[in-house]
Amino acid sequence: MEKDENHFSGGKRYRNKDITVYWKPSACVHASYCYRELIEVFDPSRRPWVDMEGASTEKIIEVVNLCPTDALAWKWNDEEKNQDVRADQYNHIKFRRPGLMQDKNSVIEETPVSVKVMIDGPVVLKGDFELTYGTTKKVVSDGMISICRCGVSDHQPFCDGRHRKTGFNG
Amino acid sequence: MEENNNKKPQAIVEVIEFGPLKISGNFIIKDLKRNKEESPGEIWLCRCGKSNNKPYCDDSHKK
Ligand code: SF4
Ligand code: FES
Ligand code: FES
Repeated sequence: MEKDENHFSGGKRYRNKDITVYWKPSACVHASYCYRELIEVFDPSRRPWVDMEGASTEKIIEVVNLCPTDALAWKWNDEEKNQDVRADQYNHIKFRRPGLMQDKNSVIEETPVSVKVMIDGPVVLKGDFELTYGTTKKVVSDGMISICRCGVSDHQPFCDGRHRKTGFNG
Repeated sequence: MEENNNKKPQAIVEVIEFGPLKISGNFIIKDLKRNKEESPGEIWLCRCGKSNNKPYCDDSHKK
């Protein structure tokens, strides 16, 4: 399923753990360097046509740098690394599409929340999620909470360790 | 250097009063006792301790 985050003004973006590749369809002249060189990643017959897991980061950068237009550009997800990219990286956004240097949004973490049901104990939630209880609503960012499953905690909805004393079996 | 502030909530976790814990979205549930791992998209976990279908709510909390 294609997610909305892949769209940004003027095209699409694709990423792996190291880099983000931007594609601007309106600039693509179908010179086809990209798929002649690396069909594993750039395959116009596939949707989405860019598969960032199809080759190594180095290889993807190399091929993106071949695009003769500004249809393809790339950057490191690590913002610091983008500062000292040298000019031989033709299609780094710094040279090709400087406006995108502001596009911080491209680092989007989509790690699933971990929900661990402990043996005879609470359920432990870890990650990025929204939590509501009573009238409280909060965003937990890279956090961890334990919700009581035994029903006897004095600190509902959180576990306070009482499940051990009551010998909860669940 | 700026923080990575682009972490979006991946799941919605809702404590239902006098009822279960509803979790929906992008998550993986690991049940250590029953040795199961899945990502069903939406679940209701028992919080009352009385369910006969743990870790899920089976409405026993209403009794
Ligand atoms: S190399 Fe660039 S212009 Fe050519 S097809 Fe690929 S994206 Fe389009
Ligand atoms: S699960 Fe720990 S107090 Fe209920
Ligand atoms: S919360 Fe529904 S059965 Fe326990």
